[in-house]
Amino acid sequence: MISLRGVTRSFSDGGRTVPVLAGVDLEVAAGEVVAVVGASGSGKSTLLYVAGGLDGGYGGEVAVAGQPLRPLSARALADLRNRRIGFVFQAFNLVGGLSALDNVMLPGLLRRGSREPAGALRRRAEAALEEVGLGDKAQAQPERLSGGERQRVAIARALLARPAVLLADEPTGALDAASGAAVIALFGALARAGAAVLLVTHEERVSRAAGRVLTLDQGRLS
Amino acid sequence: MSGEHGPADWPGPAGGGGHGRWRGLLAVAWSGLRSAPGTALVDTAAAALGAAALVLFVGLGLGVGDAARGLFPADARLVEVVPGPVSLGGLLGGGLLDDGAVGRLAALPGVEAAWPRLALEVPVAAAQAPPGLTGAWPPGMVLQIPVIGVAPGLLAGEPGGAAFADPPAGQPVPVALSRRLLELYDKTIAPAWGVPRLPPGFDPAGLELDLEVGLAIVPGRSEAARQPLRVRLATLSDRVPLYAMAMPLATVQRLQAAYRRPDEGYAQVTVQVAAPDDAPAVAAAARRMGFGLDTADRSAAERAGAVVAITTTALAALALLLGLLAALAIARSRAAGVAARSRDLALLQALGATGGDLALVVLLEAGLVGAAGGLAGLGLGRLGGLLADRVARGLLPDFPFRPESFFRFPAWLLGAALALAVLSAVMGALAPATRAARIEPARWLS
Repeated sequence: MISLRGVTRSFSDGGRTVPVLAGVDLEVAAGEVVAVVGASGSGKSTLLYVAGGLDGGYGGEVAVAGQPLRPLSARALADLRNRRIGFVFQAFNLVGGLSALDNVMLPGLLRRGSREPAGALRRRAEAALEEVGLGDKAQAQPERLSGGERQRVAIARALLARPAVLLADEPTGALDAASGAAVIALFGALARAGAAVLLVTHEERVSRAAGRVLTLDQGRLS
Repeated sequence: MSGEHGPADWPGPAGGGGHGRWRGLLAVAWSGLRSAPGTALVDTAAAALGAAALVLFVGLGLGVGDAARGLFPADARLVEVVPGPVSLGGLLGGGLLDDGAVGRLAALPGVEAAWPRLALEVPVAAAQAPPGLTGAWPPGMVLQIPVIGVAPGLLAGEPGGAAFADPPAGQPVPVALSRRLLELYDKTIAPAWGVPRLPPGFDPAGLELDLEVGLAIVPGRSEAARQPLRVRLATLSDRVPLYAMAMPLATVQRLQAAYRRPDEGYAQVTVQVAAPDDAPAVAAAARRMGFGLDTADRSAAERAGAVVAITTTALAALALLLGLLAALAIARSRAAGVAARSRDLALLQALGATGGDLALVVLLEAGLVGAAGGLAGLGLGRLGGLLADRVARGLLPDFPFRPESFFRFPAWLLGAALALAVLSAVMGALAPATRAARIEPARWLS
């Protein structure tokens, strides 16, 4: 489901080129949960954004759900993210000013060519919120939700899109133990439903839940 | 990156938009405005200012223009021909406005009709008010009335104009007065005479007045033989001069003959052309025939129209300038909004929005602000007009032809003001929208 071959990525820093990814090879199969750990600044997030088509300045080959990303136009890439990839970030997961329910509905609302009636989309979003235990928070604004609740709303949003791939960047970094455990359990459920889950984390409790744990060091996975 | 490729197992992007996607972008735009209500309010006020200024200024110009047209009614299809100033024209068949000249004028290309006008050189005066209006006549006043004779065709299009013809002996003579005379009487003459104004909704048609032909208020100018003449008002018309009473041409010719006045031709011929564009050519032809042109009314109307048009244009330009300033204010605040919401916009990209979608969100925000500002501006502009009218009623004297309102707000003006507000807001948001489209999600989501 996720395939990275010889992926490189570097950034400029005051005229100096700093390599972050130096030939990364990675395969994540459907139903698999893979955790990437590494020191802060080791390039974990960069790896995730490259895999999710959010960072196009890489070298090598990246494919998601069998689709090589490089030949895709910006619009096709956006469509791929909308239909096949779910993202969960440590923070900034929800759009401010939109209710929890509206946030969950967003991927459906942004989908090009969708003929799904608004009522049906709304019912699916409500069901996804129920699934993460937030059925009673549908109309709550993001600022009125706790960090754990916000993460669960983000996961409900990923559930709604039924992505083939879930990419999570430090998903429990801002959560207490109980909330973190609930989020990790939801990732497991998604993987069992057939999604390929790639987590980057520095937390042991998250990596313990993964089927495979890889370490990113000096731009390489081991 | 090349070409439009899509995975085989999901519907490609060629499916187009869909109402849901627009609804989603609109919801995000609305959320952006809600997240910074103060900024949205300032932007709305800026857009409202331009729209209100356009409504108020152009509405004022249109209203004053209407008033000016009421004050100086000028029919663009009429050319007023008068005898030539130089007698040489007479030698060449021009100069004197006789029946032959009227026929030649009527035969000019583009002319529909030519109606002669004759000034009655016998004095006519009235010494008493029309029956029923005795209170509107100062006691003992004798009023000298200039009389002209006009061809009935000139007034055929007016209500009651059909009755305007030389009557059988013993019948009242139908007459016509300027439509503006009533307003002038009410606002100027009645206050000067110290008599009541005409009752509201007063219709003078059918009013009769007893005149004395041959009576002059200037000593020694009265005729030895005087005769009573009863006249009945047949119609009011802008085609009758303000200063005169119009009688049928045949009646005046009869009176001229009765008092042995020499036939020196007509005083004026009113030529009606088929279209306003024909007027200059007909005027030029009349000049070539040795006649002069009376352009006083037309010139006054054109001068008034030009002043109103120039003033309105200047005020409209000022309103557009305000719209431009609104666009600049909105550009600043939308740019700040994009900077503040970069993470939200980057998140939208992660969820499937393109850079174009993000630009659209910013433009939608501006469009919503512009529409709200435009609607508020329409209300403010109209309210300003109402207030200005109220102030004018309190401060300005009740002069003739003063309009009920100095403003006119046609639907096209309201539409234009709304469009100005939306356009200025959207134009102001163009640069921030471009910036939003270039947001790098990886940078903002880290």
